[in-house]
Amino acid sequence: MACVIVLVAVIAGAPFVLNEGFLRLATECLLLLTMAQMWNLLAGYAGLVSLGHQVFIAFGAYALFLASGWLEVTPIWVLPVAPLMAAAIAAIIAFPLFRLRDAYFSIAMWVFAEIIGAFTMKSQAVGGTSGMPLATSKLIDFDWFEPTMFWLAGGLTLVTIAALYKMMTSSFGLGLMSVRDNDLAAMSVGVDVRHNRLIAFVLSAAGCGLAGALSFMGNLFIAPLAAFDVNWSVYMMFIVIIGGIGTLEGPILGVIIFFGLRELMTGPLGLSGGWYLVGLGIIAVVVMIVAPRGIWPALRDRLGVRLLDVHRAAPRPAAGTILPSTSERVTG
Amino acid sequence: MIWVETLINGALLGGLYGLLGIGLALVFGVMRVVNIAHGEFMVLSAFCAVLLSNMFPQVSPLLMLVPVIALSFAVGWLYQALIVNRVVTSPDPLSPLLLTFGVSVILRNVMVEIFGADVRSLQVGELSRASLEVAGLNIGIMPLLTLVLAALLFMALQLVLRRTEFGRIVRATADRRDIVRLSGVKPDRVYNYVMGLSLALGAIGGVLLAVRSSFTPFSGAERLLIAFEVVVLGGLGSFWGALLGGIALGMAQLIGLKIDPNAGLLYAHLLFFIMLLIRPSGLVSSRV
Repeated sequence: MACVIVLVAVIAGAPFVLNEGFLRLATECLLLLTMAQMWNLLAGYAGLVSLGHQVFIAFGAYALFLASGWLEVTPIWVLPVAPLMAAAIAAIIAFPLFRLRDAYFSIAMWVFAEIIGAFTMKSQAVGGTSGMPLATSKLIDFDWFEPTMFWLAGGLTLVTIAALYKMMTSSFGLGLMSVRDNDLAAMSVGVDVRHNRLIAFVLSAAGCGLAGALSFMGNLFIAPLAAFDVNWSVYMMFIVIIGGIGTLEGPILGVIIFFGLRELMTGPLGLSGGWYLVGLGIIAVVVMIVAPRGIWPALRDRLGVRLLDVHRAAPRPAAGTILPSTSERVTG
Repeated sequence: MIWVETLINGALLGGLYGLLGIGLALVFGVMRVVNIAHGEFMVLSAFCAVLLSNMFPQVSPLLMLVPVIALSFAVGWLYQALIVNRVVTSPDPLSPLLLTFGVSVILRNVMVEIFGADVRSLQVGELSRASLEVAGLNIGIMPLLTLVLAALLFMALQLVLRRTEFGRIVRATADRRDIVRLSGVKPDRVYNYVMGLSLALGAIGGVLLAVRSSFTPFSGAERLLIAFEVVVLGGLGSFWGALLGGIALGMAQLIGLKIDPNAGLLYAHLLFFIMLLIRPSGLVSSRV
């Protein structure tokens, strides 16, 4: 609890200490952390790898830009349309997509994102390939714009992590993780696999929609090539894989490495963004081969630290009964 | 008449798409891995062909296929031996997917940095413009040759897998990786050859596609998506199904381009998505 208060105080006070460049970077970090947590909810807990998650980012962002333009209100007041729009789309496309498993699901998501991207580029109502500016940007108070964006991003990140922690320690989370670990065994004890996956998918889409809307609101401009960029999925995936898939701490560590490496390679080392992605990719591939569960779980086991752990111990057998030795690990 | 011509050209393009899919289908059929980097390897082979034909301008670019195929086989062998084999037996079916996706990102960005993001294409001179006039229809020689080559390769692959010792070993490894060890087969070694073969087939598709249309280092993603759609539409593990799937996608794309000149691959993607809704098992359901 004390920890939460400190974090809230840090986020509330940061805009008064940091300069504008740092604040923008921090906002970007926090939004990408939220997206990575959402991707992790789907991949690490529900076992569904999406390579087309950029479509939800784009849906959220476009919904915000359009709604703000139509209603002529400050974009902040219409922020809720972004997660609602992304969640509604996710709930609809879940029906065809959930018939597919593993790699099929992943690539079908990607194809879906490509189709929506192509239609967006054709639609003149949203500016076609050249995109559109935020119509209501004149209503924004620019003295407080950067701090507000940072507070929104920080608040979203805190709420996301707290909600995920709460969820994973609840029976819903246990059901989700049991499906990931062994879906046959989970079904046999009455876990509704399809229902759990659907909820995770819809929540994950909603979170990405909101984070995407905030990200493009900060730019005051949206274009389909940026919104439907497959690199969104690449970033989310690399952050989760490097940090630790299926843990809440992993994406936090992943985001630190992601931005640390970016600032180092494109700053002091003077390398281009392409080489940065190559470097990040090499780290991800090496991590997948050497420590398939990611850096955080490997560190945690070596150091014995527990931060946001949702680990449960197996129930102790009652005295006198002899049970075959079972695996103690319920969650990762 | 113009529509008949479009359909025929779509079918010819489909032969090429079948070639894109077959390498992916082979790897998936044998080791249950979808190699997400397949498209990037195809683009890489196209870059190799362009580099070679710049170095030896007097040799026909199509002859460059020979060294490029050999190189791709070697690259595939090493790629499998050094990287993919380490996760192929992972209990988590998502590991190979994530790993090959990581490799595709690395390859794409290395190509951007080395070759630049410019649009390239492979020039084969007169041959690309030559065409046949049959019953009032204009049919390109190059697409026709491509379809014939695709059909021949499909037949050859089928023969190799059905009739040869190597084919028997590959099929046995695909069925029971653990049991073939009893007969002295090393599954990892078999996988190396299969990945080599897959990338060699991909190289043929990649180079021929580079003759047909231009490419950039970012073209790998759309090549992978087409290859994947071919495999799924054709039904898993069915080589002739892959050819049929390719033809369906080729026709959808060219009809789409007739209706809307800047549609790109949109109509091929739409056909795939609709087929997924009404027939998830593919056009043809049979096994290797």
